[in-house]
Amino acid sequence: MKRRSILIATLVAAALPGLALAHGPTRQKVTLSTEVAAEPGEVWAVIGNFQDMSWHPAAFATTGKGGNEIDATRVITLGSADGPTISEVLYKFSDEKMSYSYRITEVEVDVLPVTNYSSHLTVKPREGGGALVEWRGAFYRGYPNNDPPEHLNDAASIAAVSGVYQAGLDALVERFGAPGS
Amino acid sequence: MLPRLLVSVAGIFVATVLAADVAYVTCQNGNVLSVIDLETGDQQRWPLPGQPAGIAVSGSGIFVVSPETKEVRRLDPRSGTELARVRLNGGPNGVTVDQMRQRVFVSDWYNARIWVLRAEDLSVIGELETGAAPAGLALSPDGRYLASADRDADQVSIFDAETFAFVARHAVGTRPFGLAFSQDGRLFVGNVGSDDMSVLEPLQGLLTTVAVGARPYAVTFAADRVFVSNQYEDSVSVLNLNTLETITKIDVGEYPEGLDVTPDGASVLVANWFDNTVSRIDVSALKVVAQWETGDGPRAFGAFILAD
Repeated sequence: MKRRSILIATLVAAALPGLALAHGPTRQKVTLSTEVAAEPGEVWAVIGNFQDMSWHPAAFATTGKGGNEIDATRVITLGSADGPTISEVLYKFSDEKMSYSYRITEVEVDVLPVTNYSSHLTVKPREGGGALVEWRGAFYRGYPNNDPPEHLNDAASIAAVSGVYQAGLDALVERFGAPGS
Repeated sequence: MLPRLLVSVAGIFVATVLAADVAYVTCQNGNVLSVIDLETGDQQRWPLPGQPAGIAVSGSGIFVVSPETKEVRRLDPRSGTELARVRLNGGPNGVTVDQMRQRVFVSDWYNARIWVLRAEDLSVIGELETGAAPAGLALSPDGRYLASADRDADQVSIFDAETFAFVARHAVGTRPFGLAFSQDGRLFVGNVGSDDMSVLEPLQGLLTTVAVGARPYAVTFAADRVFVSNQYEDSVSVLNLNTLETITKIDVGEYPEGLDVTPDGASVLVANWFDNTVSRIDVSALKVVAQWETGDGPRAFGAFILAD
């Protein structure tokens, strides 16, 4: 059923050239954060490399070029060697601020139901010791046209992005421990 | 200035003082209109359903577009009372008001057209055909031309605002979104896909293209300067209106969007979508001198400052 509606959506988009670039009417945003026991520098050493997403449990492999320079690219393979991929480009990077910003350049909406996605990952000092990791995203829903099917609507896009962020942040707590614990 | 009684659209009575100019900031994710007195900083939040983004203020009312529910409303500027409402079958998006002829234009993101509405009751009196995905709309200062940024056609469409006749279409940069006419009648268009701004003469077309910041969104003018919000750069570019050279970039909040100038020309306000704030830029000093919290997801896409 789900597969069929995706197919229909694809056919509709193909039948209406010119609409393919459009996006939903309302940009969505998600901000999730977590606190860990390790100091910010230690956390940044693990997550502050655009070319290495191995700290995220959903990432099977990361390949890319350009290091941490602006316009560097990466392709993240999800789950297994033959899993789906997400292509991304780096547009801001600061070791000093322990923050980087990237955009998705290519992903299938049945992998992540979003379009026009941009995101920031930041590590900050936590009051009382440890680090605060914040992950923020801005995006439109997966269905670019009016009256989206349920699995490609605004709520679905927020749920999917929140799921990705939460899984990554939970893995960091597991790795570095919760503060005060 | 006299205290005025504000009535929210939900019918809740709130006493406040509205002195001087007022900014009406559509907060899309929060479903409110943040109404900010620019002299005192006092703020009201009027409930406004349907994820509002597009706005055009005028003496005849505050016109707001809610794309989620496909509605356009006219609100009383002081009380917030809903004076008219229409549901438009399509993707209502950008809006501008023709104060002289008491008409309102609304772009249809999904159906390559502009609706023409009567300002009074928002009844549809015409439709204009544009390129794909029209977003921002603007009227020339002399009231002669209506322009639309046709995002997915990489063009602007120009119409006669009196007769609704099609006048011209001109190629611009990649994915134009916000646009505005300067007082001398030139049209400035921010191209979110090519990180630049097209400058046009409405009949002749493109005069020049100038680089600005990453993902330029909206354009306004003050003191012979052009201000452009750069969504992906958390900044506002400032250019000389005549030479079109960049004077500076001002750091603002995250994901800056709607821009407008105060009636005295002394301040430019920008809505920071991710931060839920509005920054006030001093036009002489070219720096942020104040910041206000707003509802969630301020867009303020259009003319959003009304003179007292």
